[in-house]
Amino acid sequence: MTITDTLAKNRGELENKLRNLLAKPVFLIEMDAFALPCGCKGLTINTRGLQFDDLEIFEEHINEYLKKTSENLEVEPSFLFARLVPGTAEVASLNSRVLCNRCYMDFARGTGKQPRPDIYILNFSRRE
Amino acid sequence: MKLYAPHVGHLEALEELLTGSKDIYGIYMAGTPDYVGTGRTNLSSPGLEEIAEQTARAHEEDVKMEVVLNSSCMGGQHLTPEGYNRVNWYFTQLHNIGVDAVTVAEPYFIEMLSKDFDMEVVVSVLSFVDSPQKAEFYEQLGADTIVIDPVINRDFEKLEAIRDSVSCDLKLLVNEGCLYQCPFRYAHFNFFSHANGPGPKLNVLDDYYYYKCLSLRISDPQQLIKSPWIRPEDLKEYRHITDTFKIGGRTHFPNWILNNVQAYANESYDGNLMDLLDCPRDIRDLFYISNKELEGAINQWKQCGKVCNKCGYCKKLAEKIIKVYTAEGCGNILKPLKS
Ligand SMILES: [Zn+2]
Ligand SMILES: [Zn+2]
Repeated sequence: MTITDTLAKNRGELENKLRNLLAKPVFLIEMDAFALPCGCKGLTINTRGLQFDDLEIFEEHINEYLKKTSENLEVEPSFLFARLVPGTAEVASLNSRVLCNRCYMDFARGTGKQPRPDIYILNFSRRE
Repeated sequence: MKLYAPHVGHLEALEELLTGSKDIYGIYMAGTPDYVGTGRTNLSSPGLEEIAEQTARAHEEDVKMEVVLNSSCMGGQHLTPEGYNRVNWYFTQLHNIGVDAVTVAEPYFIEMLSKDFDMEVVVSVLSFVDSPQKAEFYEQLGADTIVIDPVINRDFEKLEAIRDSVSCDLKLLVNEGCLYQCPFRYAHFNFFSHANGPGPKLNVLDDYYYYKCLSLRISDPQQLIKSPWIRPEDLKEYRHITDTFKIGGRTHFPNWILNNVQAYANESYDGNLMDLLDCPRDIRDLFYISNKELEGAINQWKQCGKVCNKCGYCKKLAEKIIKVYTAEGCGNILKPLKS
């Protein structure tokens, strides 16, 4: 399978899982694999209809689904987070990111689940 | 019937529209955001030479050219001496070019245009004319045409009252996908007006209203049915109000616009209603609403008191006909809303 087929398949599967979990037609409008100049790389999944409440209540499940999707796309699921529209209930995207050293340090210094108003951390595996 | 079609603002797209259909009566597009700006998303900002070139081209085909400057918030700039002079200069240029009509939302501009300029003065949907009283006010201020707030597109008593109260032309926006009684309208259009108007430019986090608007419809799809769109088949119900209709969608491709022009000119469309609505593409690819299955719904809406928790018609209709696209492998299949 080509990388785009793999993305398409996993986008659909994750969308179906979320819909079944939340019992509403949540929509994943775009799934992207990316590489940044700093060295970070990973996946961004733009969401519509997903709410912060859904994350809080079903965090365990969503975390697990995202982890699985990430593994299917050969992205190590060491850092999973949601991007929020600050101050609101809206979730803009779900993300899996392999952090470069500098970005890793930025996050490793923090402690809480929301180091910035627009970021909600689902999973952060600390390095040895 | 007089159909007004949206236009993204560059010559290539105009050419496609003009050669693609003989049913377009008028074309409307945004102007340069440096003077007034507009209350909707804009993909281009044609300068005066481009507006002149395109107006001339439209006139060759006997098509009217309308420039939309419907910023819903000027932040008071138009009331400063510099601001007034700038806007006055711009209106003069549009007049010299031979632009047929100018659409504005700001009452001040309506008076200004009708007093000193010989162009059709059009009151924008963003002036929210939803009563005979407001219509009378704008007519007295100098409006030649009022585009009625689509929120009353299914309220025939109001529409008829407006028709009886004024003698100016009325125009109806037919394919708006905005939420019925949308609580974000003022805030969202003011936000767009600043984002697509004269500076200072904003560095925004996200379009909150856009996310919210989508979420509300995704979690409660009956909102799609309640939106005040008018089906192509139902135009005949509006003949006693007006014969002038406007298609929304300035950010779409010419093909999409031509598909709409054809549907409304033929007063018939066999396909997904979502194809016609000027609503975010994001949800167009999520839902399927068979337009033909909406036949007759207007009879309910005509006599509906719009108290949804008592009526429940749109909810039932939504459950019956809305389907959701669901991924299966790499393809997509349609499933009922409730499975
Ligand atoms: Zn990095
Ligand atoms: Zn403002």
